[in-house]
Amino acid sequence: MTRHVVVEPRGLASVKLRILVPVLSVLAALVVGGLFLAITGENPLDVYRKMADVAFGSANGVSNTLISATPLILTGVAAALAFKMLVWNIGGEGQLIMGAVFASGIAIWLGPAAPSWIAIPAVIVAGGVGGAVWASVAAIPRVYLKTNEIITTLMLNFIALSFMNFLVFGSSSPWRDSAVSTFPTGQPIPTNARLPTFFQRLDISIFIAFGLAIAAWWLVGKTRWGFAVQVVGDSPETAKYAGISVPNKILVVFLLSGAAAGFAGALYVAGPIGALEPRSLDLGLGFTGIIVAALAGLHLLAVIPIAILMGALNNSGPALQSIGVPTSTITMLQGAILIFAVGGEFFIRHRIRLPRKESTPQEIPDGVEVA
Amino acid sequence: MNDTQLILTMFAAVGLGTPLIFATVGEIITERAGILNLGVQGMMLIGAVTGFWGTFQTGNLVFGVVIAMVCGAALSAVHAFTSITLRVNQIVSGLALALFGSGLASFLGRAGSEPLVGHPSRAQFEPIFTGGIADIPIVGPLLFGHDPLVYLSWLVAGAASYYLFRTRMGLSLRAVGEDPASAEAAGVHVSKVRYVHVLIGGALAGLGGAYFSLALTPTWQDDPIGAAGWIAIALVILASWRPWRAVFAAYLFGAAERVQFTLQTLGEPWSDIPSTLLAMLPFILAIIAMIVLTSGKRARLLGAPSALGVPYFREQR
Repeated sequence: MTRHVVVEPRGLASVKLRILVPVLSVLAALVVGGLFLAITGENPLDVYRKMADVAFGSANGVSNTLISATPLILTGVAAALAFKMLVWNIGGEGQLIMGAVFASGIAIWLGPAAPSWIAIPAVIVAGGVGGAVWASVAAIPRVYLKTNEIITTLMLNFIALSFMNFLVFGSSSPWRDSAVSTFPTGQPIPTNARLPTFFQRLDISIFIAFGLAIAAWWLVGKTRWGFAVQVVGDSPETAKYAGISVPNKILVVFLLSGAAAGFAGALYVAGPIGALEPRSLDLGLGFTGIIVAALAGLHLLAVIPIAILMGALNNSGPALQSIGVPTSTITMLQGAILIFAVGGEFFIRHRIRLPRKESTPQEIPDGVEVA
Repeated sequence: MNDTQLILTMFAAVGLGTPLIFATVGEIITERAGILNLGVQGMMLIGAVTGFWGTFQTGNLVFGVVIAMVCGAALSAVHAFTSITLRVNQIVSGLALALFGSGLASFLGRAGSEPLVGHPSRAQFEPIFTGGIADIPIVGPLLFGHDPLVYLSWLVAGAASYYLFRTRMGLSLRAVGEDPASAEAAGVHVSKVRYVHVLIGGALAGLGGAYFSLALTPTWQDDPIGAAGWIAIALVILASWRPWRAVFAAYLFGAAERVQFTLQTLGEPWSDIPSTLLAMLPFILAIIAMIVLTSGKRARLLGAPSALGVPYFREQR
């Protein structure tokens, strides 16, 4: 039998390839998006130029791009951390919302009298706790009852969203602005709990997000605990033989992943939004975090530049309306980027050869990985 | 709650449950082949927009439905390629499909010089029987008061059930989902079987989406299907991978969705229950079902395909 293409599992892909695949994924997505733009009578190059201009063309644009990127760094870390361990936490969305609920709750409870050096750390910690608590609803059944976490985390997103809507639109909770009676909005959190800005609307949350991403990278890559986690991620069986407590590691990573998404919610309400505002929080930031993680190859530092790229896309979306192009172009592009990125995974994991002579494909046993 | 309200609720539950039946049966068929496709939301939205467009262009409902099914299947082909041929992560690929599909659907509804958004459909599905048997108290409206797609959904569930459990091809399909290597050894072409059933799943999801834009709310709006695609994924588990049970699970969810409106009509104290809290109900139900029904070894007993989500490497048998 002749096989003209030989596909072999590859050991470790080169750094060049690991960078090339995401870059090509973005370019391919731009081509696909361009096709749809062209079909509907737009000039794709004009649209893309406009997007780049809005996102990076001015100091104000860059500042807004970084504001959009901040939550994505953390939801990206949340997804990357979990996916590394084959924990399919796709509940970043809900964990972000519950982080925002906890964070704004503590800020309002502390009131305007609390000094900033207490209020700001309290808000951030509360966000992490909120995210972790929400993740635990799926994590505990996953670890102790082996309940599939994909469905539970997914459903928890919708419950969190309804809960936030209930707090602001459906009740007279402390989260709802009592001064506004016509159309319900979130209660503004006291200014002492707000993160200080340093350039236009840009506040220090971007640095906190950088710091947390670096901390996550250090924890997983440079500590004994992180090494154990990586072993569990590579092969739970090996980890078990090595005496590593697998359920314990899964539980902790799951909760940390939830906390990361919760931090994103906290920084967003204490930073640019300044209130539990459902219309500003229901943007799919958790799902976009999954794109960030996948495109970053689950690398916790690579998450940062990718999040800035996705932040740029999100930031440029609303401006497209002014040139008559739907904002949903952005979601379409992001979805396409993710499709190509996940498809590109094949080339990172496999080597394709076109042998000149007839050769029989080698039987190379491979630790078949799902991720 | 008086009788009229009860019947109205049940009647509405059938309508709201119908798109869920199509999508859930489609996903059951896909998962029985061992492929997890989380992109149902995207495929349904594409079906909704293309079905609407097809009917908008021609005035023909059947044409719209066919277009919706073809486009739903076309989108699912992307997932089939990444998960069967490239054998990459099915979870992320499915999510990508959901994102891309919902972005594209909204884009297609708004793009161009004469966007679809805001336009009512040129035709919509109406009840088949008027008067006569449809007027029989209680049974009349519940059994005979529906549009053709409701009856089609019963037919699809019945046919899928027969196909899965009573035919040779259905047996091969289940074998592929349980143990692809053994199926291959028995002469089944694993990849081909998987491709075909992922496409069938996509077509049914597209049909479910079209039910929203051509029957339930026959006007194009940005996000006409709510979270139906995500609910369908949960319903597969609630229905324990059996098409007939999907019908009842879908109606249960349809009723849970409808209860929000029913309570408003009942007056105090029922109307005081916030709709934002009731909106959680289907999702809480799904989580409880998930934990109670599928934890640990019980998932196998229920009928969860063993090879679900696991890529098949033919070379490594």
